[in-house]
Amino acid sequence: MRATGQLELDSYRLAQYTVSCPCYICGGGNNFDADLCRHCYAPMALVHQANSQKIHPRMVAAIGSSGAGKTVYLGMLADMLSKGRDDLQLLARGAFSIGLQERTMAALARCEFPAKTPTEPDRWNWVHCQILRKKLKPVELILPDLAGEALLEEIDHPNTFPVIRAFLGKCSGVLVLIDALRCQAGEADEDFRAMKLLSYLCELQADKKTGWASKAVALVFTKADQCDNCFDDPAQFARRHTPGLYLQCRERLKKHAFFAAGVAGACGYRLEGRGRIHVPLRIEPRGVVEPFHWLLDEVVK
Amino acid sequence: MNSVMNTTWLTSFPTWAWDQVSRFRAKDPPAQQPLSIESIIASAEQSGEPETDLVLQMISQGRYSLLLRPQIATNLRTDQLHSAEEALDATMSCVPAGPVIMRPRRFEDLDELELARSERIVDVDGYFLDRYPVTNEQYLKFVQDGGYEQMNLWDATIWPAVLGFTDSSGLSGPRYWKHGRPTDPKLPHPVVGICWYEAAAYARWAGKRLASDPEWVKAGAWPIVADNASPQQRRYPWGDALDRKLAHVWGSGADDTTSTRAHAGGASVGGVNDLCGNVWEWTSTSFGVWDLANLKIETATPMRSIRGGAFDTYFDSQCHLHFQSGESPLARKHNIGFRCAVGFCDVASYQTPEQEAAA
Repeated sequence: MRATGQLELDSYRLAQYTVSCPCYICGGGNNFDADLCRHCYAPMALVHQANSQKIHPRMVAAIGSSGAGKTVYLGMLADMLSKGRDDLQLLARGAFSIGLQERTMAALARCEFPAKTPTEPDRWNWVHCQILRKKLKPVELILPDLAGEALLEEIDHPNTFPVIRAFLGKCSGVLVLIDALRCQAGEADEDFRAMKLLSYLCELQADKKTGWASKAVALVFTKADQCDNCFDDPAQFARRHTPGLYLQCRERLKKHAFFAAGVAGACGYRLEGRGRIHVPLRIEPRGVVEPFHWLLDEVVK
Repeated sequence: MNSVMNTTWLTSFPTWAWDQVSRFRAKDPPAQQPLSIESIIASAEQSGEPETDLVLQMISQGRYSLLLRPQIATNLRTDQLHSAEEALDATMSCVPAGPVIMRPRRFEDLDELELARSERIVDVDGYFLDRYPVTNEQYLKFVQDGGYEQMNLWDATIWPAVLGFTDSSGLSGPRYWKHGRPTDPKLPHPVVGICWYEAAAYARWAGKRLASDPEWVKAGAWPIVADNASPQQRRYPWGDALDRKLAHVWGSGADDTTSTRAHAGGASVGGVNDLCGNVWEWTSTSFGVWDLANLKIETATPMRSIRGGAFDTYFDSQCHLHFQSGESPLARKHNIGFRCAVGFCDVASYQTPEQEAAA
């Protein structure tokens, strides 16, 4: 018996493999068909989007200690902006950019908080989106949901997570999320962690004109719905409850502002197995868009 | 116990109350607004009776329920009693006695069998419920009448805290007021920034009380019992799907409270407005009482139940009639208000079926 089929000539693939595809975040070379960067684990979809649409998105980070509410904040922000009710509107680029929004909203609708972001960078959610502004040019943005534990690990042991160093080095602005409840309870840890993050940024790019000293930093007190006075005057709240951070911001950052944000109206604990799970009793976002709006204005200026 | 509870609500519903209900049974809201307090006072003033001053004052303050109490009503003249009844007709809706299904907080996660096991049917006595949440304008009358100084209106346990219930300028009053009053545009908005104890004190001053959870749900869900089956009840006062034009929730428009009269089409069958959206409403029930033991939520302090969602409630699933949330009774939030209730048994002109038959 003789085989009569045709053999497909795949040699063009070999040609594609010979050209290195640089990661959009760390710049490391990758094969053209890689999903994640083999150096930093950022999604290669970011660079493919940038190449195909001939646009170079700006980068903005939300950083903060573990449990400060980064995932909830970013997921809620993405959902609120994607509904197009505010002056800002968000259009996700690529299906992968909707994952964070989907995961967060599904949990919040069930009156649960989303699961903690895993420390492994290959499991992080990245949002690549276009922000539409009334009467102004749209802005392309990349906004990842970094794990708080990874952030602190990177600060304590630099280069443990190359993606964090590379990303923060390229960022145009940053949202620093601080747990207002812990601050109000007098837990100094939160103040120290926020100071660490700011010190790390300032050392990462020390130049006074182009470094973090002159980039926009929005300091957001999260969970403010449970300490209502934070909404009245967030800067005053910072001065009272995070004096170290307040002083550091005043001395080292040219463009910074304090904000208060909350997503749940009240919280409780659900008993499950042997543990207690923190759950929101309802969802009523407050002060979520304002810090992002301010940051975007500063970044685009 | 009110005799209404022992009979079906159809037979125990007084005729004049039926008139109230039937006025709102039409699909569209009534073309004419209900009789206003001002018109009642104007007509009473025309009578030129100086001794009616106190009665008129109480009616103008919205305290007609005190006049209608059986022990007081017997001392009033017929016209005075009639004015108080008209004031009640104008501002409160009738909620008939009958059963209502109370569901646990996370009932949407349960399968049919679990849901059937977790539901509880509660019999509610007939009562009147405010057509609208208490507005800043109404609450101002309470403040101006010295409500914060009349300690008999407040739970004794809360007396030390009453001095701390101040507005932004340090005077007694809701948290977001200034110099003892709200801003003029906010007068018709529901009062917010008041804790559960302030709501209860106002209700006591007005001769009313806060509605219980089953009463509140019944007023909106309007359960119908057909052929001795389980009651059929609505998810929203107007039906089973959220319509953002009928309730002020996130995505409806403004980022703040609106006038209580802004969503006329969202009234319940019985004519109760603004039950869903605008502001959460304090009820007299504790938070979590309808939850199954394995779904109970632990909170740092005991909470009171709030119902109905507010202008910033994000999910449709959290602003329907069956969703219960909770808040510390001392919390003075920007999105929690209240409305008042009064039982049929506390209104002198209400007659039991036996009394009606005898008459």
